[in-house]
Amino acid sequence: MAKNKVALTAGGPAGSGVFTIGAMFARSVQKLGLWVYYTADYASLIKGGHNSCYVRAEPEEIHSQIKLSDILVAIDKLTVQKHFEGLSHEGALIYDSSSFEINDIDMSKRRDIKIFAIPFTKLGRDLGDKIYGNIVAVGAVSALVNHPLEKLYVALEKQFGAKKGSEVVEINKKAAKLGYDYLKENYKGVSFKVTLEEIKNQPTLLLSGNEAACIGAIKAGVKLVAEYPMTPSSSILSFMAANENKYNIVVKHTEDEIAAMNMLTGAGMTGARCMTGTSGGGFALMTEAIGMAGLSETPCVIFESQRTGPSTGMPTYTEQSDLRFAMHASQGEFPRLIVAPGDVEEAFYESFKIFNLCDRVQTPGIVLLDKHLSESSRTVKVFDTSKLKVERGKLMTNEQMAKATAFKRYELTADGISPRCIPGQPNGMHVSSSYEHDETGWTTEESAMRIAQVDKRARKLLAIKDEEIAPKLYGDADADLTIVSWGSNKGMVLEAMKFLKNEGLKVNFLQILWVLPFPTKKVTEILSKAKKTLMVEQNHDAQMRGVIREFTGINIKETLLKYDGRPIDPEDIYFRAKEVLK
Amino acid sequence: MTTVAELSNKHTVQWCPGCGDFPILIALKQAIAATGLNPKDIVVVSGIGCSGKTPHYLNTYGLESLHGRGLAAATGVQLANPKLKVIAVGGDGDGLGIGLGHFIHSCRRNVNITYIIFDNMVYGLTKGQTSPTSRKGFKTSSTPHGAIEHPINPVALALAADATFVARGFSGKLEHLTNLVKEAILHKGFSFIDVLQPCISYNHEQTYEFYNKAAYDLGATKGWKADNVEKAFKKAYEWGEKIPIGIFFQEKRSTYDDELPQDKDVPVALQPIDNVDITVMYDKYL
Repeated sequence: MAKNKVALTAGGPAGSGVFTIGAMFARSVQKLGLWVYYTADYASLIKGGHNSCYVRAEPEEIHSQIKLSDILVAIDKLTVQKHFEGLSHEGALIYDSSSFEINDIDMSKRRDIKIFAIPFTKLGRDLGDKIYGNIVAVGAVSALVNHPLEKLYVALEKQFGAKKGSEVVEINKKAAKLGYDYLKENYKGVSFKVTLEEIKNQPTLLLSGNEAACIGAIKAGVKLVAEYPMTPSSSILSFMAANENKYNIVVKHTEDEIAAMNMLTGAGMTGARCMTGTSGGGFALMTEAIGMAGLSETPCVIFESQRTGPSTGMPTYTEQSDLRFAMHASQGEFPRLIVAPGDVEEAFYESFKIFNLCDRVQTPGIVLLDKHLSESSRTVKVFDTSKLKVERGKLMTNEQMAKATAFKRYELTADGISPRCIPGQPNGMHVSSSYEHDETGWTTEESAMRIAQVDKRARKLLAIKDEEIAPKLYGDADADLTIVSWGSNKGMVLEAMKFLKNEGLKVNFLQILWVLPFPTKKVTEILSKAKKTLMVEQNHDAQMRGVIREFTGINIKETLLKYDGRPIDPEDIYFRAKEVLK
Repeated sequence: MTTVAELSNKHTVQWCPGCGDFPILIALKQAIAATGLNPKDIVVVSGIGCSGKTPHYLNTYGLESLHGRGLAAATGVQLANPKLKVIAVGGDGDGLGIGLGHFIHSCRRNVNITYIIFDNMVYGLTKGQTSPTSRKGFKTSSTPHGAIEHPINPVALALAADATFVARGFSGKLEHLTNLVKEAILHKGFSFIDVLQPCISYNHEQTYEFYNKAAYDLGATKGWKADNVEKAFKKAYEWGEKIPIGIFFQEKRSTYDDELPQDKDVPVALQPIDNVDITVMYDKYL
């Protein structure tokens, strides 16, 4: 019997509520004190097709999905066909026996699977509507793993209580109990390898990368969000809109991404902390205005959640192929900040941090997410905000400006950073301009001033300290293999390291977190000592490998690259690492 | 009280001598002076083109945005700090070509911005190509056989997009234009003025002489009231021997920032952000 370790996949057509099954199960096992990971796979349509979600829970901290599931919940036949081979040994298939038969599916290779025929739809309909069938299914899962129904009830209250009222909660509780009782009564004496029990744990938050990034931005005091919806960043817009009143944030769904980014050049000028969210296609439309923010030295933050490109690509699937694009977007040269969080915690802390750094160096910053991080949820320790302090850099106060004489917005200072005033303040009138300018903001094409202003802007990045952009090293410094990766791969690499460690293999992991400014010194130091190296990325061209080579001169020979839109699994990394170690 | 002199700065204006932009700049200064606004509370936003240089010639805050993007940038300023007076300027190529989308959305949004298009019906700064307001058949370096498309009618377009203040001015009638700009600035909501403005370098058809002959003041027309959108449409299409200038349409409607649900006492740009409490969001995730 495996205690408190479980992985579940649920599948069905879009619009069938399959994600509710995963979300309710995830929330209820979080209530047991377990660490939880949740992710979903869906296509770019609203009804039909095939969607699936995945929940994994364990008593120790977990970082990502693994390949096999112990439980498969099937709302339709296609789910059984697509996923039964992904069940672990003696895994359970729970299917909706009131809507389809599985007799004609050849499962002869997997006689170990335990099959539970539960009439979700029928039981749901008995309660008045087939939509309750999904909760019937979650109830049946609870029975299978001996998971107390009370925890599921709490999850249902959280899900439906505030939005739909107690009546809806009650009927869903009934549905859960129906499923629970049905399995218990009809499969008496059938044992299952997984049981779940409550454990003692500190309180956790179960939330997605996008949610954590938004909370980080709100903590940083973001006051204007201008965005156009685009998967997988749309939930940033809706999250901010849902919180616009509570935090006094102006949230504008703009006519397009060009407007969104240009609005930031205006909002940033007023002193408001401002941001946008987008994916690659929208980011492409923003590029000209990103340069405008760079030249006019206007702080603002762009959350770019990468998906499968180029062009429309595979809109709901993950990739890490916008790295070079983010680094070079817009004509000309100007300093920019880029951070690529690897998990939910980093999505929160680094999003907070980038607002401070953008204010400090007065330039645009990019939080480079990917779909797998943006839309997957994980339990994390409650955020520690005790050390988070808002710092506005050289933003002038009204008192300072009242005394200012001959104020120059683009003054050539030693550190390249000029005092910044905002409209409404006296004695600081200037033009924030897309043209090259002199110290006052007046357009110039004169050679000495052009050089001075380019140098000044470039110099600003020196105000960022090495420790603020440091990469992270996990595992022993003295390892036989160093895996190098970034973004959401972090979770899968950490999981792979658990497997490798179990076999006594000495592997460590270098995570590139800040991309610009690039942490050249630290990365060089670590990689120059590494015995063997393996680059893991979700793209075809090994973009980060090229970036590392560009900054450090070190070429990582071995790669594991995936670009089918699906996240890399820890097992893939484990096998590749063993190959490289051979 | 702000004077025209206080609104002027030391910079030499870099338009062609005789350009129709000069009177617009003067009208703008006179209108600002007449409204009594404090220059530190004004942001003049432009796109790119000859008109784009305008913010540099005014002693106010300014934002010279990208080509076509003046209104988007201006909206960012206005929504972040509605206590500022935001005046956007742009050319016909800038505002009705590359930036047309922002124009229509700004109209329907009724964002509290005054928008002046310097409409010379030709591209000036790129040396004389056809513009969205060039007449069909207009020969330029990009249309040597004559423009094939019908021109955009900016006044009719603004009316169709539900702008709450729609006017047309002529840069050859300074006093009239000054009054229009003043009315536009005082209007609460999106106030649009299409200013007919000769380009002495690249447009030899729509000249001072042409407009001086044709332009007549709607305000001085007996019985004219700018409160009927259908009548305004009809007037908007009057073009040729007679060209109406003045206010075509004006109505009161709540502005975009009026309808924002957030706390309005202090503009969001000026609200303190040192100690934001995020824990109230946690319950959903615990």
